[in-house]
Amino acid sequence: MIFDLATPAFYYMAGASVVSATLAVTRKNPVHSMLWVLVLFMHVAGIFLILHAEFLAAVQVIVYAGAILIFYLFIVMLLDLSGEETRPRFSKHWPLAMVTGIFIISLALLVQVEPRIAEDPSPGNLAQVGKQLFGPFALPFEIVSLVLLAAIIGAVVLAGRRSAES
Amino acid sequence: MIAPMDVVLKLSALLFGIGAFGFLARRNIILMFISVEIMLTAINISLAGFSQHHGNLRGQVLALFVIAIAAAEAGIGLGLLIAKNRIKSGADVSDLTKLKW
Repeated sequence: MIFDLATPAFYYMAGASVVSATLAVTRKNPVHSMLWVLVLFMHVAGIFLILHAEFLAAVQVIVYAGAILIFYLFIVMLLDLSGEETRPRFSKHWPLAMVTGIFIISLALLVQVEPRIAEDPSPGNLAQVGKQLFGPFALPFEIVSLVLLAAIIGAVVLAGRRSAES
Repeated sequence: MIAPMDVVLKLSALLFGIGAFGFLARRNIILMFISVEIMLTAINISLAGFSQHHGNLRGQVLALFVIAIAAAEAGIGLGLLIAKNRIKSGADVSDLTKLKW
């Protein structure tokens, strides 16, 4: 019997995701938080690979870790947050936030899965995703492109207001 | 290997709870946005897990849409933050109390 490497890899990635997410929301330095989120996104990409979502794993690394997170890092470095480490990192209502978080986490106890084995366990190849995306999901795909266009225009209008007025 | 669906859903709930705690507890606007990204990532894990569980690709396609919306949210949110930074420097939510009763 071949030693199954995917099972320990899956549990390692699940554990590392939880640890890095916890560290990301509790670190004081925003740049350290960003780097822990980067670690989280890489491990989530590994989980996507194990879930047979190869294209999603690639998008996770390229778009999420490569573009969105670097965008956040640029903003952290553009804004002068030098006084950040002297301020309290949590608001004074943080126990309430903790209760809310634990309440949501306790939903994990309610998980009940009917044992249903999929007929095709590896549907994640790119050609199939493309056929879905441009077939039954063509209208949502176009709507998402419109949303992105609106977001681009909105970001330019919001961030570039000063130069337009002066 | 087919990853066990209950473990996937539990992992998703854990990450979503951590993200919700971060969003409610942090005072830095950038870290609140990052917590939202953690929550969206948790949703994506759920969707990819359901996609594998049901043997079709709808979950994966939906997860791609979630990633696109996350990019739009990051752009708008950080644009607002830049605009706010011109009025008052810093990224603390306690600066924004004008609408508070």
